[in-house]
Amino acid sequence: MTVCTRMRGHLGLALLLLLSAAVESNSMSPPGKPVLLGCRSPEKETFTCWWEPGSDGGLKTTHRLFYERERLEGKHECPDYRSAGRNSCFFDRDHTSIWVDYHLTVVASNELGNTTSDIFKMDVMEIVKPNTPENVTLLVMKREDNLYLHVRWEPPYNTDTKSGWVTIKYELRVKQEKSNEWKEYTSGTETHINLYNINPGTLYAVQVRCRLDHGSWSEWSNSTSVNTPDYPHNEKLFWILVSMLSAVPFITAMCILVMKRKNVKQYLLPPVPGPKIRGVDVQLLKRGRSEDVINALIINQSFPPMVAWKDQIEEYLIVSDDGLLLDPSSSQKRKKSLIIPAGFHLDLGIQCKEPTPVQRDLQKAEERKNEMDNFVKANTSLTEGNLSDMEPPQPPTQKQLFPIASFVKTTDQSPSKHNSAAENTVKPLANCGYVDIQRHENAKEVDVIEVDYSRVKEVSGDNILILQRGNIPGYMDIQRQKENIPEDYSRVKEVDGDNKVLLQRQNASTDSSCREKGNHYTDCTNQKLRNPHVTGPSKVGVCTELIGSGYVDTIPAPPLM
Amino acid sequence: CIRTVTQPASLFMRVGTAPICAYGQAGCHVPSLADLFDRVIQQSSRMHGISSDLHSEFEQYFLPSKNLIGKRKCHTYGILTPDDKENAQRLGREQLTEVILRLLGAWGDPLSQLYRSMSQDQNQDFNHYSSNKALEISDMVHELRDGVSKMADKMKLLGVLGNTVGYISPEGLVPSSAISFYKRGELNSMDHHDLLYCFRRDSNKVKNYLRILKCTTLPGLDC
Repeated sequence: MTVCTRMRGHLGLALLLLLSAAVESNSMSPPGKPVLLGCRSPEKETFTCWWEPGSDGGLKTTHRLFYERERLEGKHECPDYRSAGRNSCFFDRDHTSIWVDYHLTVVASNELGNTTSDIFKMDVMEIVKPNTPENVTLLVMKREDNLYLHVRWEPPYNTDTKSGWVTIKYELRVKQEKSNEWKEYTSGTETHINLYNINPGTLYAVQVRCRLDHGSWSEWSNSTSVNTPDYPHNEKLFWILVSMLSAVPFITAMCILVMKRKNVKQYLLPPVPGPKIRGVDVQLLKRGRSEDVINALIINQSFPPMVAWKDQIEEYLIVSDDGLLLDPSSSQKRKKSLIIPAGFHLDLGIQCKEPTPVQRDLQKAEERKNEMDNFVKANTSLTEGNLSDMEPPQPPTQKQLFPIASFVKTTDQSPSKHNSAAENTVKPLANCGYVDIQRHENAKEVDVIEVDYSRVKEVSGDNILILQRGNIPGYMDIQRQKENIPEDYSRVKEVDGDNKVLLQRQNASTDSSCREKGNHYTDCTNQKLRNPHVTGPSKVGVCTELIGSGYVDTIPAPPLM
Repeated sequence: CIRTVTQPASLFMRVGTAPICAYGQAGCHVPSLADLFDRVIQQSSRMHGISSDLHSEFEQYFLPSKNLIGKRKCHTYGILTPDDKENAQRLGREQLTEVILRLLGAWGDPLSQLYRSMSQDQNQDFNHYSSNKALEISDMVHELRDGVSKMADKMKLLGVLGNTVGYISPEGLVPSSAISFYKRGELNSMDHHDLLYCFRRDSNKVKNYLRILKCTTLPGLDC
């Protein structure tokens, strides 16, 4: 039993399957559900709606649009299915109301049945989208060498923009042929616009669109293009030629400059002249021989030539005064910087020169009672070297030469006696810096002016001391003595301190008082028998204050004569 | 002094208006009718824009409102308004002006309530900016109503407008409590949405009617 029912069931099923297959091959069914795509009003006065039909079910299917509207009773059908094309419904002005809701439905129907779409609710106010602007024209204009584009168009078709019912606004975009970027401009309600920032020799494309109130923008119009003219070619060529031509002289000038660098440099940056000293030869200086340099530096070229002062070494300083002559054998040192004989003229920086006999006389005439150490230090050492009877082992420093820093000129006040000789023989001394004062052999009655700083009357210039002639109390004129004045520092009796030397007077003719005078010297007028070594003077006057750091050469000078 | 219709740029505050001399005192600049028209049109356009923004903000949070085809949706349904261009043009200046004034008058109170309700809304999904917009349109409605009145007076002076347009009190047109049309009691967000839907539509009407009025009165370049 069950087997039979089961078999019947299976059979039924198979039959059913067969039937359905047959039916499907014929495909007749109620229509599929249409879909309302949307509506659009181009000018806020009419609108159109479109739908998409579903499957037609194999049968002839019709579609109908029905609507209900606010403030309108009943269900109404689309007034116009044709004007807007297939599957559309066009609502003309009479059927269009703004600010009211429409509820739209589309019904698809065929023999087998109806199918209704979903309700589509809309308000015309919200679906406004205008048509595109028309007749877009593009022109290239030129004004005063400026290129600009003039774009002109017309309002969209069938749109009333004059009544104020809608307010239209335009927008355009521009593109150069090479780039892909559009540049947008807003126009407002004007239907033309000028574009100024354009390049020559380019293809420009322009599109325009519009909008009503706050509605949707229209589609862009078709692209309109125009070519802007290029710069005239001859202009470019002209400038190329000009630049090339101007380059040639420029390059030439540069070459010349480079080749004549040195001249240019000299012209622009002239060398600064070096200092010029008259009589000085720069080359000489460069070579660097000191003697020549010194020679070169001498301003007054009238100096007598330098005499080798080697000979002078033999000389020694002799001071004679009042008959008290230095004992050459005395080993007393005598520091003498400068003895200023009357009328003795010592020029500074002059070559050492062997004193002439006259000079020697002069020198001898400068007998001094007291050796004063004056300013010139150097020479004395020379003479000291000559004092042979002095103690030989003297430190070599004794031989120092002190340059003559200055010279002294003495003026004679009593012209009668000694000065004649002195005046006659004014000779420049060597610049080696010592004074060779020799004892005059012929003891003349020479009124030797005691040349010491006590008698300095006047200092003229750097190196001239003008001494007073005449007897100053307290001083003893150095008078020539007839005795042999030893030519050495043997008269130095005692060295007291750094700069004090006690001299011994040989012939105590007169007592004289030593007087300290000035800074540098004192008169020692103590006459005493000469004693080469001054140990204790019998009569010792106050002695000189030696200048500077002089020293007393104890080497006795060999006798000159 | 006569209050002027303020420029849209200064709509966030009630501007202490510079007096426009109605009596033509020396040194005063008397605005022309065209100026007045421009001002009110600008303001109405701005007001509509703001209300549209507000409405679209609400729209994203709510399903489309229930189909109330049969049912009257907005409290201003009683005010008969031309619903297309021809009807509006056929209506005539006086009636058009009257319609405008009625519409503006009907919305003064509901918008204030809307603002109050929105600012008090505790579970605000919207930012503070929205309630500021509500305040703005609330103020604008009042200003616009005054401005249109002045303009109507001027038009009457110029003889462009007949004298049939009288002072319209808003209370005479709509129920005393317009808001109660929408809901009794407190408004919620859904009510806000409905209100804004209605106001968006009415502000659009006002804008359009004013433009029509201008272009029929002073046809010119802007029309």
